[in-house]
Amino acid sequence: MRYLSTCLTLLLTVFITPRPGLADNILGDTTRTAANVLTLNAKNTSSKNELVLHGALDMEYITPILSAFHQRYPHISITYRNLETLELHQRFQDAPNEVDILISSAMPWQYQLANDGYAQSLDSPIAKSWPAQARWRQELFAFTFEPVVMVVHRELTQRYGQLSGYVDLLNLLKAHGTDLNGRIVTYNPATSGAGYSHAIQEAQLSPRYWDLISAFGNANAQLVNTTSAMLEGLIEGRFWIGYGLLGSYAQPSVEANPELEIIIPESYVLVTQRTALVSRHAPNAENARTFMDFLLGKTGQHIIAEQTPLGALHPEVIGEGSAAELRRLHGDALRPLALTPALLATLDNLKRQALLQRWQREFSPTLPEVTTSADAQ
Amino acid sequence: MSVANSLYARLLGWLLLLLLGLGGIMVQQAWLDAKLTADRAYDRLLEAATLAIAEQVKWQDDRLWLDLPPAALEMLSTDAEERVFYSLHDANGRFVTGNIELPALGTENSHSSPGNDIFTVDNMHYRDLPLRLGTRYARIDVWQTSAGFEVRMAHTREGRQQLTNQLFRRSLSYILGMAALSVSIFLVAIRLALAPLTRLRRALRERDPRTLEPLTLPLPRELAELREALNELLKRMRRVHAGQERFIGDASHQLRTPLAGLSARAELALRHQDPEQWRDALKAMLDTSTHASRQAMQLLSLTRLNNPEYRPELKPLNLAHLAQDAVTRHWSTCHRAGIDLGLNAPSAETNTTPPVIFGEQWQLEEALSNLIDNAQRHGARHITLSTTMEPLGILVDDDGPGIPTALRTRVLRPFHRISHDPEGSGLGLAIVNSIARAHHAQFILSDSPTGGLRAALYFPASQPNLSIAENTPCAT
Repeated sequence: MRYLSTCLTLLLTVFITPRPGLADNILGDTTRTAANVLTLNAKNTSSKNELVLHGALDMEYITPILSAFHQRYPHISITYRNLETLELHQRFQDAPNEVDILISSAMPWQYQLANDGYAQSLDSPIAKSWPAQARWRQELFAFTFEPVVMVVHRELTQRYGQLSGYVDLLNLLKAHGTDLNGRIVTYNPATSGAGYSHAIQEAQLSPRYWDLISAFGNANAQLVNTTSAMLEGLIEGRFWIGYGLLGSYAQPSVEANPELEIIIPESYVLVTQRTALVSRHAPNAENARTFMDFLLGKTGQHIIAEQTPLGALHPEVIGEGSAAELRRLHGDALRPLALTPALLATLDNLKRQALLQRWQREFSPTLPEVTTSADAQ
Repeated sequence: MSVANSLYARLLGWLLLLLLGLGGIMVQQAWLDAKLTADRAYDRLLEAATLAIAEQVKWQDDRLWLDLPPAALEMLSTDAEERVFYSLHDANGRFVTGNIELPALGTENSHSSPGNDIFTVDNMHYRDLPLRLGTRYARIDVWQTSAGFEVRMAHTREGRQQLTNQLFRRSLSYILGMAALSVSIFLVAIRLALAPLTRLRRALRERDPRTLEPLTLPLPRELAELREALNELLKRMRRVHAGQERFIGDASHQLRTPLAGLSARAELALRHQDPEQWRDALKAMLDTSTHASRQAMQLLSLTRLNNPEYRPELKPLNLAHLAQDAVTRHWSTCHRAGIDLGLNAPSAETNTTPPVIFGEQWQLEEALSNLIDNAQRHGARHITLSTTMEPLGILVDDDGPGIPTALRTRVLRPFHRISHDPEGSGLGLAIVNSIARAHHAQFILSDSPTGGLRAALYFPASQPNLSIAENTPCAT
């Protein structure tokens, strides 16, 4: 092993590729970074021992995992492409034999691929012992635990006091809606996959969700497509309240900016999970299985817990950065999206149209309805 | 103990074969039943899920509209985590919504009864996945018109398979338990059923070897028949045994008489001093002892002939030659006694097929000697030997007094004499009879055309086919 590590040079090459057009950014929630492809080459490049991953997971979060994997298996050349969730989905359907592993936060879309038989079954002991509620059939594995949170600017708490949940927020909006005009930012469900996914989930969880949307509409809330965009505005002080941000992405920014504060509501907290699957037509299936064992194994999960804010799901990984810790803190309020066929219902064309129409109606009753079939899957 | 020869193994084999056959049928039936039950249970789910969706179908904006209830999809994914597919089609089969476009089921139920829900279910394949597809055709009524639509839902078969396996495993364990119980009962039952055989064997083995008493132990019907057959055999053996005892008694009596005569004669002679008397006595004693030794010889041969273990060495013999030899042998004695001994051979030269039989030469010679001797002794003046072809036989005719018909069977027994001829042993005809039996021949006494007795030996016609004609041992 030492011999291998000394004779193999770890090459970390970051290519800068042209960013896909903004029009494609419908479902995506990846933080925009310049680097979209990560390659880790094995020294002995003549042997075709590769692993190709496509993911909707930003470079800064995936890099620690891939580096650790490369250190352990230096003979495997790794190519990781960071893609938008829809692009990822579309590209996979066009060429399912181009990629070994798909990682995405778009749970319904991933579920649909697995349901249609695009994923292969993993039978390793590690995959088999993975918690049942975080996998589907040995084919689709959720490996992170990211709560959906509110982020508020200190300006707001100084003026109106501490917010603790949805009721506080709703009351605040009702009382001071005009003062907060344009100060609220949230996802646009019509153009963002994550936003849509949150909206449909929350609409099912709480009937007062629509009151909130209506209040957002009255306060002229701003609609964006990514968590990063919300964070940008919050850091700049343009927005005081960010609603429905991915906790994993918000956490580093909040830590870096004392102005900002994360609020995890007490009644219910949506939880997004990244899911990974190995393509049935994976060109390097053996390496893909090795990577999955690494990702779901204790080593990989420890790296997720310690070096990323994604939230490790392995039941034996506890302490800071683990799902266990979040569960201990927030208990029953956490509502992870279950990997069940109900996810397919969220992708139903008509359902999507119905929800978006309702959302639009609640948000701005006066405006004509927006046709939203462009981003139907 | 080979399988074919053991009753136990045979019975067990047949019973096991039966069990195997029945068990096979039961296992197959259990599998089919399990499959049917599982399909029925899961088809209910399909039915309920399609209904849940059909109830949510609305007519909105001049088109079919569906607010898909997630529970309808959840329903179809049980613990087995089946893949679920659904699609909604309008009356013309056009795809409205769904995660894949599922095919329509058979055309025979072509929406013939509008207004009523029709649910059909069948197996199909989608991209190599075996699916169970349920379709529900229903209508919604709007004011002006009524619109038909079809909900199609499918899921993979893992749950059904699991339930089938579970049900089948349970049935299988019942069947195996029953089979094990049956086998153990078979083992005990066969052992019990065959126990009387062991008792019979033990009873036979423990018997006094000298006793011929019938068996009396109680046995089941089938074995009681065997016991009766054994008792029959024992009865016959008792009769044979009695016959033998009588024979031995007669024989010793027969031998004792001449021996007593010898003693008496010798005693009488010793009282005299005259050598002439001694000479007479010695002459008489010689005659008596000659006669006694001849009788002993005859007894010996009779015993030998009656021995059931005795197997004579059969050779092809020409009856004509046998008759010829007998005449040659006895001619001088008869001539001296003034008896005419003749041979009546039917022109042996022209006869193409000689009268050949299979037999032991010395025995047949003995039989002919006895018959000639007998005729001679009973006062015949003419004795004629002849052979016949149809049936194959040899005849001895005489002109003596003959034997009354009533006595003809009795004279065949040993020591039976008609006259009180001191020279006769009473064994001659018995020996001939035994020889005839040994050759499967018939020994018949009848009236002779020459006035006396005709003693005939008829041999069975189906003699082993041999081409031996002239090179027989007696063809001299």
